[in-house]
Amino acid sequence: MTGPKQFDRIEAPAPSRYRRIADTIRANRARTSVLAALLFLFVVAMAGIEPDQWFSTIMQGLSVGALVFLVASGFQLIFGLMDVLNLAHGELFMLGAYVGWTVYTRFDTFLDILIPLLILGAPFALLPLWRRLAAPVGRLARGGRVIAWGLFITGLGGAVYSMSKFPLVIWDTENFALTPVNMTVQIDIGLLVPLTPGDYAWPMAFAFLVVVLSGIAMAVGIASVRSTGSEPTRLGRRHVAAAVGLLAAAAVLQVVKQPFNGWVFELSTTWRFLMAVIVSTVVGAALGALIEVALIRPLYDRPIYTLMITLGVGFVLIEAVQAVWGRPEFTMARPAAFSGTGEGCPGEGIGGFFSGCSTLMLFGSRLRVYNEGFIVLMGILVLVAASMLLKRTRIGMTIRAGVEDPVMVEALGINVRRVFTQVFALGSGLAALGGVLAAPSIGLSTSMGALFLLTAIVALAIGGLTSFPGAAAGALLIGLLQQVIIRLGQTGIHIPFVEEPFKPSPTLVPAAAIILMVIILLVLPSGLFGRGEG
Amino acid sequence: MSLLVLDGVHTFIGRFHILHGVSFEVPAGGIVALLGRNGAGKTTTLKTILGLAPAHAGTVTFNGRDTTRDRTFDIAALGIGFVPEHRAVFSNLSVEENLRMGERRKGDLEGKEELIFGLFPDLKRLIGLPGTSLSGGQQQMLAVARALVADNRLLLIDEPSEGLAPVLIEQMMEAIARLSKTTTVLLVEQNFLVASRLAQTYVIIEEGRSVDAGAMADLAGDAITLKRYLGV
Repeated sequence: MTGPKQFDRIEAPAPSRYRRIADTIRANRARTSVLAALLFLFVVAMAGIEPDQWFSTIMQGLSVGALVFLVASGFQLIFGLMDVLNLAHGELFMLGAYVGWTVYTRFDTFLDILIPLLILGAPFALLPLWRRLAAPVGRLARGGRVIAWGLFITGLGGAVYSMSKFPLVIWDTENFALTPVNMTVQIDIGLLVPLTPGDYAWPMAFAFLVVVLSGIAMAVGIASVRSTGSEPTRLGRRHVAAAVGLLAAAAVLQVVKQPFNGWVFELSTTWRFLMAVIVSTVVGAALGALIEVALIRPLYDRPIYTLMITLGVGFVLIEAVQAVWGRPEFTMARPAAFSGTGEGCPGEGIGGFFSGCSTLMLFGSRLRVYNEGFIVLMGILVLVAASMLLKRTRIGMTIRAGVEDPVMVEALGINVRRVFTQVFALGSGLAALGGVLAAPSIGLSTSMGALFLLTAIVALAIGGLTSFPGAAAGALLIGLLQQVIIRLGQTGIHIPFVEEPFKPSPTLVPAAAIILMVIILLVLPSGLFGRGEG
Repeated sequence: MSLLVLDGVHTFIGRFHILHGVSFEVPAGGIVALLGRNGAGKTTTLKTILGLAPAHAGTVTFNGRDTTRDRTFDIAALGIGFVPEHRAVFSNLSVEENLRMGERRKGDLEGKEELIFGLFPDLKRLIGLPGTSLSGGQQQMLAVARALVADNRLLLIDEPSEGLAPVLIEQMMEAIARLSKTTTVLLVEQNFLVASRLAQTYVIIEEGRSVDAGAMADLAGDAITLKRYLGV
C-alpha cells in the first residue's frame, strides 16, 4: 500500500485455541446439548447390546445410513439450489435398482432396448431445424399449442407402442420360466436361459421407420410448444453430427450386439455389477436432466405445480416399471466378489474378503462384506467426492453461490439454468446409484422408492434441509437408530422392577425416527446443521 | 457510436408498468449518472439493460447489438459488469471465491489482481475470509471488485454510497473515478453531491420516463431542474 497510512488498525490478540473452542460451544449451546444427549442415548443403548454385537450393529447402521444418504444428498442438492422438492426422487432410486438389475442380469435385453432409444434420440439432436419449421405453428395463438401437444403425444404413444413391437429379447412376465424372478435364480446358479424375440415383433425396417417418425413428431411438438425465441434456429454442424452419430451408434450396436453380449456374459459377475452401477447412475442422471428440462424448467415460478408434477412423474415411473418388469418383487443376485462361501468362511479379519468370503469376523462381530463393507464404502466415497466437488471446483462454487442468489450469478454472465440441469442430473444420478447398490441387499420393489424418500426426508429434517453435511449426519443418525432398535428388539431392554424385558418390535423403527425428528426440531428448528431461524 | 442505447423502453415488473419510455445513450468512456427520485425507475432501468426485467417494448442496444430479447447471462457475457444495490456478496463463499465468480475465463482474476488491489488495498488482507465476515463497506468494495474481474466494457453500479460512512464514500468515489479511466460506468446515485463530482453526463428519470439529459456541469448550475426532478 502506497501513500500515507489512513487508518491505524489495532489488532486484538488472537484468542487461545481452548478459548475459541469454548466460544464455539457457547455459541452453539442448543446444538451441543442435542449432540451430547444423542451420544448419551447411544451409549445407553449400546450398554443393552452384547459387546460382540457392537461393531456389527454400528456397521449395519452405517450401511442403512449410506443408502439413505445417497437419496437424501441428491434431494438436498436439488432443493438447496432450486427450491424444488422433487417427489419423484425416490422413484429415480427405484428405477436405478431396476435398470441395474437389467444390465446385471440380462445384458442382452439392455442392449436391445438401447437401440430404439438411440434411434429415438436422433431427431431430438436436430431441434433447431424443427424450431425453424415449426415457427408458424408456434405463432398460432391457441390452436398452435393444441397442434404442438397433439404431435408430441402422438409421437410419445407411437414410440411407446413401437418399443413393445421392436424385435428385442426380453423376459416374459406371463411365462413363469421367463419371469425376472426366475432369472435372478438362473444367474445365481450360472444358467441363464437364452431368449428369442417374440412373434409379436415387427420387421426391423418397419420398426425403425415407426420409431424415427415418432421421434420426429415428439421433437417437432416440443420445438413448437417450448420456444422463447432465443434458442438457436440454425442447424449447426454439431447438431447434424449428433443425429448421425446416434443413428450410427444404433447401427453399430445392432451389428455387434451378439458378440458383445456373448463377451459380457463370459465376464465375472463382479465386472457386470460394476457396469450395472455405472449404467444405472448414467441413466438416472440422464432421466433427471430430462425431467428438469422438459417438466420443471417451465414451472420454476410455480412451486406447487412443480410439487404436483414431480409427484405425477413418480406415479408414472412406478406404473412404467410395473409394466416392463412385472408386479412381483424380486431380488438381485449378489456379484461373485461378495457371494463367496465354503471352506474357511466366515473369514477372519479384512483378509477374509480376499480369500473369497462373503462374510467376515471382525472385532468379534459377523459382517457381510457387501452390506456392511461395500455399501458403507460407497457411501463414504460419495460423501467425500461430493464435498470436494462443492468445495474445490468451479461448478461447486457456482452451486454454492446459486443456492444463495441465482439472479446475481446469472448477472455475472453464468448460465444458471444449465447449472440447475447439471445439479438435477447429479442428484438423480446419486439416487439411481443408491438404488442399484441397494438392490442386491434389500431386493427390488416398486415401493422401495417412496419408502427411502420418506426416510431421507426425515433424515434431512434432522440434519437440516439447507445443509449438505446435515444430509450425511441425519442419514447416519437414522441408520444407527434403526439398527439399534432392531438389535434391542432381539435382546430386550431390562427395565428396573419389571420382570419381562421390553422388546421393541421392528415396526417401531419408523415411529422412532419421527419421534427423534420431532424432539430435535423442537430444540433446533432448522435441524442439526441447518441455518436460518434455529 | 454509443456503447449503450436505450430507445423507448417499456418494462413491467409483475403487473406493474414501471418504465414508460426510457431513451438515452451512454457514450464509450467516462461516467454517466442516472438520476431521479426514489421509485422513479432507475434500478429497473439497470435491470432492463441486463435482461433481469426484460423490456416489453422498445430496444436495448449494447455495442451495436440488439440485446432486448437476449438472456441475462448472454448479455452480461458481452461485457457488462453489475454491482447491485444491496451488493449481493455471496456469504457462503470466501472473498477470493466471490472474486472468482466474476471470472469469465480461468485466470481472469490473476490478470486483474494489480488493478483490483490497487483500487481496494483492504481486499488483499481479507482475501481468505468468508463473505459473511465483511463489513458493509468491505462488501461494497468486493461487489465493485467482482465486476472488474472480467474484461467488462460497461459497469452498472447501483447506489455505491448507500449506507456507507463518509470516509468510505470518499474511498469508493476515488475508486470509481479511477476505474472509469478504463471502463465506461453507468451510475445510479441518490446522493447528488457524489454523482455530480463523478459523472460527466447525466440522465434524469421521472416516473418511468427519461425526461432530461446533458452535461453534468450544466445541471449543477440549473437550480430549477434540480429542484423539479431531484428535490435538491
